Amino acid sequence: MIWIVKNLWLIPALPLLAAGIIAVNKQPARKLAAGLAIGSMALGFLLSLCAFAATLGQHGEGAFRETFSFNWIQFGGQWMSIGWVLDPLTAIMLVMVTFVGMLIFIFSVGYMAHDKNFMRFFNFLALFASGMLGVVIANNLLLLFVSWEIVGLTSYLLIGFWYHKASAAAAAKKAFITTRIGDLGLLLGMVWLYAQTGTLNFYTPEHTGCLEASALAGMVSKTIFGGMMVSTAIGLLIFLGAVGKSGQVPLHVWLPDAMEGPTPVSALIHAATMVAAGVFLVARVYPLMAAGAAPVEHGAPITTALTVVTWVGAITAIFAASIAVAQNDIKRILAYSTVSQLGYMMMGLGVGGVAVGMFHLITHAFFKALLFLGSGSVIHGCHEEQDVRKMGGLKKYMPITFVVYAIGMLALAGFPLFFSGFWSKDEILHHASLWSVSKIPFYLGCTGALFTAFYMTRQMGLVFFGSYRGHEKSAHGHSSHSSESHSHDPHESPAVMTVPLIILAGFAILLGVIGTPAWPWFDAYLNGELAELQIKFSNLAESAGLMGASALIVLTGITVGWMLYGKRQRKTAAEKDVLEAAQPAIFKLLENKYFIDEIYEATVIRFNAFAAWLCDFADKWVFGGAVLLVKYFTIGSSWLYRLTDENVVNGGFDAACGSIRGSGGILSKLHSGRVQTYLRIIGVALVALIIFLIWGRKA
Amino acid sequence: MNYLQLLQLSAPETIVTVTLFVVLGADLTVLRGKSLAARFNGGALISILGCVSAALLAFARHTEANLFNGLLVVNPSSDFVKVAILALTIFTILISTSAKFTDHVGEYLSLILLGTIGLMFLVSTEDLLMIFVSLELASFSLYILTAFNKHNEKSAEAALKYFLFGGMSAAFMLFGFSLLYGIAGSTNLRDIATAIAGKGFDPLLLVALVTTVIGFGFKVAAVPFHLWAPDAYEGAPTPSAAFIGSGSKVASFYVLAKIFTLGFVGAEGNAAYHSFLSGWTPVIAIIAALSMMLGNLTAIVQFSVKRLLAYSAIAHAGYMLLGVLSNTPLSASAMMFYVITYALTTIGAFGVVMVVEDATGSDALKNFNGLSKRAPGLALCLMIFLLSLGGIPPLAGFIGKFFLFSAVVSAGANLGLLWLVILAIAMSAVSFYYYLRVLKAAYVEDAAADAPAIRTPLVTFLALALLALLVILFGVAPGLLTQYL
Repeated sequence: MIWIVKNLWLIPALPLLAAGIIAVNKQPARKLAAGLAIGSMALGFLLSLCAFAATLGQHGEGAFRETFSFNWIQFGGQWMSIGWVLDPLTAIMLVMVTFVGMLIFIFSVGYMAHDKNFMRFFNFLALFASGMLGVVIANNLLLLFVSWEIVGLTSYLLIGFWYHKASAAAAAKKAFITTRIGDLGLLLGMVWLYAQTGTLNFYTPEHTGCLEASALAGMVSKTIFGGMMVSTAIGLLIFLGAVGKSGQVPLHVWLPDAMEGPTPVSALIHAATMVAAGVFLVARVYPLMAAGAAPVEHGAPITTALTVVTWVGAITAIFAASIAVAQNDIKRILAYSTVSQLGYMMMGLGVGGVAVGMFHLITHAFFKALLFLGSGSVIHGCHEEQDVRKMGGLKKYMPITFVVYAIGMLALAGFPLFFSGFWSKDEILHHASLWSVSKIPFYLGCTGALFTAFYMTRQMGLVFFGSYRGHEKSAHGHSSHSSESHSHDPHESPAVMTVPLIILAGFAILLGVIGTPAWPWFDAYLNGELAELQIKFSNLAESAGLMGASALIVLTGITVGWMLYGKRQRKTAAEKDVLEAAQPAIFKLLENKYFIDEIYEATVIRFNAFAAWLCDFADKWVFGGAVLLVKYFTIGSSWLYRLTDENVVNGGFDAACGSIRGSGGILSKLHSGRVQTYLRIIGVALVALIIFLIWGRKA
Repeated sequence: MNYLQLLQLSAPETIVTVTLFVVLGADLTVLRGKSLAARFNGGALISILGCVSAALLAFARHTEANLFNGLLVVNPSSDFVKVAILALTIFTILISTSAKFTDHVGEYLSLILLGTIGLMFLVSTEDLLMIFVSLELASFSLYILTAFNKHNEKSAEAALKYFLFGGMSAAFMLFGFSLLYGIAGSTNLRDIATAIAGKGFDPLLLVALVTTVIGFGFKVAAVPFHLWAPDAYEGAPTPSAAFIGSGSKVASFYVLAKIFTLGFVGAEGNAAYHSFLSGWTPVIAIIAALSMMLGNLTAIVQFSVKRLLAYSAIAHAGYMLLGVLSNTPLSASAMMFYVITYALTTIGAFGVVMVVEDATGSDALKNFNGLSKRAPGLALCLMIFLLSLGGIPPLAGFIGKFFLFSAVVSAGANLGLLWLVILAIAMSAVSFYYYLRVLKAAYVEDAAADAPAIRTPLVTFLALALLALLVILFGVAPGLLTQYL
């Protein structure tokens, strides 16, 4: 076994250790906290590179895969073992998470410089990284679930990091509770899986893991109601967990609200890594999802589970993209864009298999982290202003941020040929167009791409072009302080924030290279095939038509966006949006996110409130009464026992002793009473027990 | 007969015996005239060295042997219990080193070692006679250890109560043993089992059974044979009480389970509520149920922490008896896990009480007020011990309860023993009340203005910290212990 496989646990353990050390140190040790967190991620990154290198060049039958497991808890005659796995899927995620994480940690040093809870922030960040890396390396659904919950907890803690803001506290609760609904499905799926296969290990050296042929065959052969295969049912339950974590419709409502957290958190957790954990989970249990499919000649196998994944993904993609069109908060736009892109990833998994979905996950992680950090830089520069209507013209004030943001935007919009997002999105659309079940997801995806290009151009136009609109209020209110208002101009961020941005921008461009149809290295790597180095123009030609179409869509979106928001700039922050002026009803619907939150408010939450009221009533009057009864009974009987034990037995005895205490010695005192009482009790016990036994024999 | 083999097999006991004389001799010669602390440290060092080497020997050998028809039985399981007893002895000695209640250091330490020898022989025999002799050896050492604080009347009173009660129950037990010998014509447990088998349940056996239960009920302080315990725990010097509550408990439970599962095969009866049948399991069930109820409920109204721990010990004896009466290999190992972790926790709790008692003059609950501010490390240890006794995860007490209760539930056919487990769980919930009362005093209440400062002797503190670590360790990684049980 390669040393890195044995020591893979170090990667999540290092940030955990860092978090632990930070937690026990006294508050002002800022350098220590940041240094430990970043250092642990840097070390983790190096180890991840080693792990990645170990998986390179390993091809043959199927993907390279090594596992390491050990026994954890015993129950009955069975041992629950946990462990980790190293395969291309793990390796690529490790590299991505540690690298993006490291950059975001560095960025945070600048972004959070003025926060007095700096240490707590880095403590949570490090803890999060540990949980996320745990999810990635887990070779066991239980370990994955535990790490998954750590990730959920830190997400909650970080969204509510500024808990003195009521909206942040509410958003944290919303995120936690909404994802919990999905986690319930995951938990049920896990329990069912264990009941079916007797193991939660994904892979084992003896090929007895729950994702391997023998276990899958067992689950495929059994059916439940409606002829549904057990494997499908379990797969769907697990997918429910992914829906919650990855913000798919209908559990997407928490993700936009999660933007209440500090921006680096949004970048790391709610764009690059944690929300991708759901996609990763589906990729991880892909064999389960795909079990029992009829063989197909092209693309991914068709099963009920994967069909559901595809539809959920496609609907999420178009749904969230359309909402993003009508948002005004810079981070909310990005949040809905994230939801939409996660939808694409799910769709990619459903129609094209692991490599397609994961490719988009990786490229998206880089350019979305870039966009979020860029927006962080913008917000930082504009003095914590998040409303795009009050920005404008920032190109002049923040040139570096402008350039990298433009790169991120073009990558997200999928601008042809030079940006990674184009290749990964094209891959998804390509497979969607070949999907034999239905063509609708393909059309949904194309429309979503149009929207994406449009809303990103809108954002660029509003934020960076035109003239700065942030002064308006001060210009009207404090015209006398014109010299001061100059210092309120937006400013470029320090190097500690821009350097990570530049690095991410580089990757947003370069990453596309590994997955072009001409050189599908990524696909080959994940499937353990030999990556062909020669450029395959035949492949390129095959998908050229689609690429052209998709490029056309993107360019249309960008052009329309530019016409509406770039060329024609709004004059004041309060002015109505162009679309709002044209189509007030539709704009209102989109601006209010299809009123999903309101619908939930009126149905689920109202029902929940009623149930809570009912439970409270029962608690107070029914169970409370019972508890009260037990309480008084317990207190009464304990006093009774005390009376008998201390007063009748000891006390009566002590009273007898007490009268002699003055005159007699201790020995004589004890001889007088103690023995008799004790002997009497032993004697009584003897007789009672014997009678009890004789009675029992007759019964 | 091969005496060389006998010497080999009893090597751990022999080492402890030799250590005993060395300690006694050293105190008379080399350490004579030195300060009390020096004498205690010197004696403790020798004793601990002896115990450690005996423990290493017992731990390292993997011998299976049976000498003189069961008089001396050596196997890995009994060897491991010996190691546990020796470890508990070492901890007892460690927390004794700062004691000021006696200047008879040599005698005190050698009595602890003598008790240990008794306990070690107790676990490595399958013969009634040997059981009785080693039990008495251990008991007599404990009686004297209880009386060791000669400046305190209560100590003498407690010892006398303990001794008289013990003597009485020993008489009952010996009577029972003689009946067993009458039935079987042998004192070997396996021979007795053969003789009983198929004979049905005659009155002679019935009496022998009940008297045996009385003898061990006294040792493990189960209701209604518990009356000595609160007085003895309260009056005895604290390290002695810790030894009574730990090492002695471990050995007694091991032997209790051995006697009934080996010697009374065929007379189990049935304690399940739906198929009740006379035998030893229902008797133990009654005692266990009484112990759990009375121990936990009475502990609630105690104001002396040592008395509180005594009643808690009675309650825990009740839980552990469930492990005995379930009578499966799983429940036996769960019971041993429980009793060993319980013993470690108890020594720790008594250690904390001792420090507080030395500083403030009594173990009254109010003397614990504000402990977290006066001695934070000590308060933290106390919290770990008490929470473990209550059964809070991830401490050893929780895993112990979990193993034990799940073993008991799975033991009875058709969940017949569920009533005991429900009772046990309900009573565990009650137990939190009094454990938390102590913690409330330590963490919430403010200390009285004139409260004396608390100084923890270094050795004691290290021993307590080690115990607390072990309690956490066995809670998180119970496999470290269960692999030997």
